[in-house]
Amino acid sequence: MQKLQILADSAKYDVSCSSSGASRAAGGRMGSTHTSGICHSWGADGRCISLLKVLLTNKCVYNCEYCVNRRTNDVPRESFEPDELARLTVEFYRRNYIEGLFLSSAVEVSPDYTAERILQCLELLRYKYGFMGYIHAKVIPGVSQELLHRIGLVADRLSVNVEMPSRESLAAFAPQKKVEQIFAPMKQITNTLIETRSLKGPGTMFKGQRLNDASNYLGPAGLADGAAEDSVTSALSLAKGARRKGSFAAAGQTTQMIIGAGNESDASILATSENLYRTFKMKRVYYSAYIPVVDSPILPDKSTAPPLRREHRIYQADWLLRFYGFTVSELFKSGGENLDPDLDPKVTWALRNLDEFPIEVNTASYEQLMRIPGIGHLSAKRIMRQRRFAAVRFDDLKKMGVVIKRAKYFVLCCGRYYGDRSFAPETIKNSLLQMESGLQLSMFDNDWKRIEEGERREKLAAAGVI
Amino acid sequence: MTDYLYDGTFEGLLTCVYHHYYTDKASGIYPKESYQPSLLNGYMEVETEQDKSDRVYEAIAYKISDYSLRLIYRAYLSGIDGKENVILRYILLGFRIGPSIGSMHSLPEVKALEDIVRKVGNERERMLQFVRFEVMEGPIAGGPQILYAKIEPEHDVIALVAHHFSERFKHDPVIIHDIGRAKAIVAFEGDWYVTDFDGTHLPDGSGFIMSEDELSYQNLWRTYFDHIAIKERINPRCQKNHMPVRYWKHLTEVNGI
Repeated sequence: MQKLQILADSAKYDVSCSSSGASRAAGGRMGSTHTSGICHSWGADGRCISLLKVLLTNKCVYNCEYCVNRRTNDVPRESFEPDELARLTVEFYRRNYIEGLFLSSAVEVSPDYTAERILQCLELLRYKYGFMGYIHAKVIPGVSQELLHRIGLVADRLSVNVEMPSRESLAAFAPQKKVEQIFAPMKQITNTLIETRSLKGPGTMFKGQRLNDASNYLGPAGLADGAAEDSVTSALSLAKGARRKGSFAAAGQTTQMIIGAGNESDASILATSENLYRTFKMKRVYYSAYIPVVDSPILPDKSTAPPLRREHRIYQADWLLRFYGFTVSELFKSGGENLDPDLDPKVTWALRNLDEFPIEVNTASYEQLMRIPGIGHLSAKRIMRQRRFAAVRFDDLKKMGVVIKRAKYFVLCCGRYYGDRSFAPETIKNSLLQMESGLQLSMFDNDWKRIEEGERREKLAAAGVI
Repeated sequence: MTDYLYDGTFEGLLTCVYHHYYTDKASGIYPKESYQPSLLNGYMEVETEQDKSDRVYEAIAYKISDYSLRLIYRAYLSGIDGKENVILRYILLGFRIGPSIGSMHSLPEVKALEDIVRKVGNERERMLQFVRFEVMEGPIAGGPQILYAKIEPEHDVIALVAHHFSERFKHDPVIIHDIGRAKAIVAFEGDWYVTDFDGTHLPDGSGFIMSEDELSYQNLWRTYFDHIAIKERINPRCQKNHMPVRYWKHLTEVNGI
């Protein structure tokens, strides 16, 4: 039991917990997966618990500045035996506690040694226990191509952490990790996904495009140049029989980065994400607000609040990239390196580009509708559908799920404008801010207070972190 | 105009719709046991007739659509008072305007029904998330263990989750027990059925015997749950938004708190 405590504590700063992207009816002895994923519980921090998220071990040879498990940090160390963890997963799964396993690990001995233990655990789970639930495996940079391929064959989703939004931060905070080592497995995963014809890409970013052909193949330069290099294909030819469609990490790959540790701007963070989306076509980039867990001279002070609101705005902007057809350069076109913390990025963008508004909902294209604040893909589709039968009136918008309090400033319905009298950025911004101030305060009603070092240690001790 | 009283079954409800067309216009449809007679309308207890209900059922499928039929059935499963009248108004309108009713989201009749359907769908989703099984010893020593879960959903969604769980735990016998409605789904090897179930017809009346390591796994799960939360981000409001307190009673990880 203590082991589970320690290894869950070590794993909790990993962000992703989604169980989505793979759909599999039952086979094997037990288990299935759903395209949408299923969350089974929500922790006290309001983050969902979908997968059993643990480290195989927290014994680490690396010494990354920001990490609880860094070599020089004095925390209790533990490891699971592969079979022990596989059994635990199955027993939790039977009770419907979880959707599957999220397995990560500290680097014990070497990347290959660690990957081998991860593989062993996952293979036991799949083959000995016949488990067909969801598996998300963390890939450790520096792992050999063959091991990575074999892990991909048993996992639904793979992720390699980029850790930091820029090369400089990575060099400063995680000196033993190299950018090239991180990109190599990412590239291999994308290429194998193309070979198994299951590269799907993030959100609706590449909708209607054929991703699974040679032109998207990533060459040595990391760019899609269509030339399948020997070095890349050699690893793949290891398992010829396993090129069946969807046999390799059907739910694609993701990554995560810490924000607020270095001094990158929101614009450069999102530019990094956009790059990752365009180059590797990965499903998602996760962001985690930096929480000071260890003392470090080069990191923000230990009493710094985690930048939760910033994280929230970056996630919103990330959605705009993946589902709403925005680009980073558009979002930051006129003014600022950072997102407005008080308004969501779509509103900010709309206010800066007020010449494109108001948009008549009865004639706008789907893409235009998606750019109106307060309208999402569901309501945009509903508007498109109803337009075939009858004009959309202002009263209908609310029934279709449009957020009127935001949308009303930016739309015309049958030629009429329903916002305030003046159509100017400042007026609209003020009314929006007034309206949202109530909501915003309550959203973070447990706002982080700057607390004393002693109190902080107490809290962390209570949480079992130290 | 007559108030029709039905026996609470879907067939009974459809029989009432039949009578609306062939006997007397319905002023409303109500379940028998909770009906309060009013001064305005007479009322009639409708006897459920399979052939009449079948005719309405097929008429909905042909003249409106399969999609609408599914919505109607889901709305019927809800535990909301007055759902019968919402369904009635939707069906009447559906027979007038045909299949396109499925896209007329802003008509009040359609919206009322879709609101109910959404609530039922949401609760179904919640059941996929929040059903917690306990592993029980089966009746035969050394035989298969039984996965047993208690639930108390607001809407009668038990049949909507049966397929999911019977597929997922194909080789384990599964019993999901709706305590409030005293019924259960029993599933094994991909087959399932709904049955009346109040636990009393079990051999010792008290239910099942927990398997040996059940409690230790429950404790492990609680431990994991407590430790996965990041203390710096504690946000009970967000937690309760996603996991409403009314479900906590049967959630292993929080019901001890």
